[in-house]
Amino acid sequence: MLTVRFDGSFQEWRNRARALLQSQVAPHEVSWAGGNESAGLFEEPLPTPANESGQRIRVPRQLLDELEMAARYRTEHRWSLLYRVLWRVNQGDSSARMVGDIDGSELHGRIKAVRREAHHLHAFLRFRPLQTSDGPQHVAWFEPAHDVLPWAAGHFAERMGGNSWLIATPEEGVCWDGQGIYYTRPCPTQWRQLAQNAADPGGELWKAYYESTFNPARLNRGVLENNLPVRFWKNLPEGMLIPQLMSRARAGAQRDGQAERVAAKNGKRIGRAAEQAD
Amino acid sequence: MQLIDKLSVLADAAKYDVSCASSGAPKRSSKGKSGLGATDGMGICHSFTPDGRCVALLKILLTNFCLYDCQYCVNRRSSDVPRARFTPEEVVSLTLDFYRRNCISGLFLSSGIIRSADYTMEQLVRVARLLREEHEFRGYIHLKTIPDADPLLIAEAGRYADRLSVNIELPTETSLIRLAPEKQVVTIKHAMHTIHQGETEASAEKRAPRFAPAGQSTQMIVGADSTDDSTILQTAQSLYGSYRLRRVYYSAFSPIPHSPNTVPFAAPPLMREHRLYQADFLMRGYGFNASELLSGPGNLALDIDPKLAWALAHRDQFPVDLNRAEPMMIARIPGIGMLSAKRLVDLRRHKRIRFEDLTRLRCSLEKAKPFVITQDYRPSLAGHESAMLRQHLRDTPAQLALW
Repeated sequence: MLTVRFDGSFQEWRNRARALLQSQVAPHEVSWAGGNESAGLFEEPLPTPANESGQRIRVPRQLLDELEMAARYRTEHRWSLLYRVLWRVNQGDSSARMVGDIDGSELHGRIKAVRREAHHLHAFLRFRPLQTSDGPQHVAWFEPAHDVLPWAAGHFAERMGGNSWLIATPEEGVCWDGQGIYYTRPCPTQWRQLAQNAADPGGELWKAYYESTFNPARLNRGVLENNLPVRFWKNLPEGMLIPQLMSRARAGAQRDGQAERVAAKNGKRIGRAAEQAD
Repeated sequence: MQLIDKLSVLADAAKYDVSCASSGAPKRSSKGKSGLGATDGMGICHSFTPDGRCVALLKILLTNFCLYDCQYCVNRRSSDVPRARFTPEEVVSLTLDFYRRNCISGLFLSSGIIRSADYTMEQLVRVARLLREEHEFRGYIHLKTIPDADPLLIAEAGRYADRLSVNIELPTETSLIRLAPEKQVVTIKHAMHTIHQGETEASAEKRAPRFAPAGQSTQMIVGADSTDDSTILQTAQSLYGSYRLRRVYYSAFSPIPHSPNTVPFAAPPLMREHRLYQADFLMRGYGFNASELLSGPGNLALDIDPKLAWALAHRDQFPVDLNRAEPMMIARIPGIGMLSAKRLVDLRRHKRIRFEDLTRLRCSLEKAKPFVITQDYRPSLAGHESAMLRQHLRDTPAQLALW
């Protein structure tokens, strides 16, 4: 078994995979160790650097995009599936990248999970405003399940325009100064601290909104957890409210749809000739 | 009143409107520009509340003072709820703050009727204009149209908003007369027509300014009166046909504080609302007709989904051979969705479809099994009466008990 050690980047994997294809190394003969992954018990170093001047490999352009997308999926042995699909397509078996195929199904399952995680990043990341005059105006801490940050962060440059921001994660960080985007791995300690410790005096408004927009007469925990997985709750400002809103609704204190803090206020009927009412 | 208190009251007052769409807007970006906000056509749900509904937009009323007395509405004039009113500037600053925090994709603004329909509509338009022109906000804006407002105001709203909506609220005129005395079907339809016309004119001319590019939608309340699902679906179908609505939303009536005697005390089963959404989806996406889904008066079955109900009533059209059938017929098989149908058709160009392919496509095998033929599988028809199949395939009672 050959062991291919590389830095864990897709670009580098692509270079290695190309060389292996040219030397006709079959998928079951290779074990991949990207970054600090271990390749298993029977490691053997790659004997000779593969011949770069061999025949050019031609695969559909779209396949490369699919492989790059699937490479962001965090799992042990993430690279061996990619090489198997690449190998099979190169052998003329294009069903390897179709959903109905056993490898293709896994490939597309990973792509789907990666897209979903990018969507989670766009949806469930929260910026907090910073009050300082230098440095980014907004900071966020996010814990993605897959390596989606550098690919997905551009979304916020479009959203925030000239407003500067910084996103820190356990592994990586990215920031935008209003003009350009900077990506770094590992994430600098200072960024992490900034993102995790930012005070937020204005944060109460959002929580008040979240509380009032919930209809306790329609409690539906299953749908909530399906759409907003529990792992995100701890980093969302409204996350801590969820259990308490659910238990209040379940306790039956609210048989109609009104939020408790609204029901507690004095109400007012409006007269028919009510031009003055507003 | 403090801003935070107003927000509590006016969010609570707005939550009975179930529309939450933030999709369909043209692509806009603020990258390298002043101002704020982007849309990419997709829409993002930024949070979900414990009732399972998504939070994509800041959904609030400008004010819940209201001159109307719609019996099903928490903000009706005779209701004893706390009242509040935002200034347009307050709505603008809340929207921008929540947007920068990445809590929302935009604003969905509605209002109780104050002073007059025109005055109320002017206020709504003012908020949208402030956002778009003063703050160069490029996020999503959905404005609720006041049906009686001047068509010129509606036209102005369409220039700023991505989506406009007019709620029909009740599926029949009789119910509207009984429960919403100040509202009239004719003005609601007139407003829908004005919006539809604005859309048509804008799309006919290339350089015309955009008009509500994400289209218009409406909402019907389910279970506040005795109207059956058949009438509701027929109404929806005719609205889709007449005004090219993007969506009809169905909102199960929610009991409200000090409910008047004219409306029920209890909510209808949420499952009824769910079945209506499923049926609506079949009409929009699968080419089903309202009368196919419910051939006579009555309600959709609660224990099985509408597609399965249709298939059980049309056993003569099944089983369907996945290796031969038209894509649209494959999509009519219970347990196989539009996407899987397309994938099956793609796949069969390369190989014969086998039963295990359905597993890989994550189709609902239990449901599909009695209705499909594949290379290696053929359902045994004996002993599979529709009534028995229904017993076997119905949803579990646990799901039915959603009240």
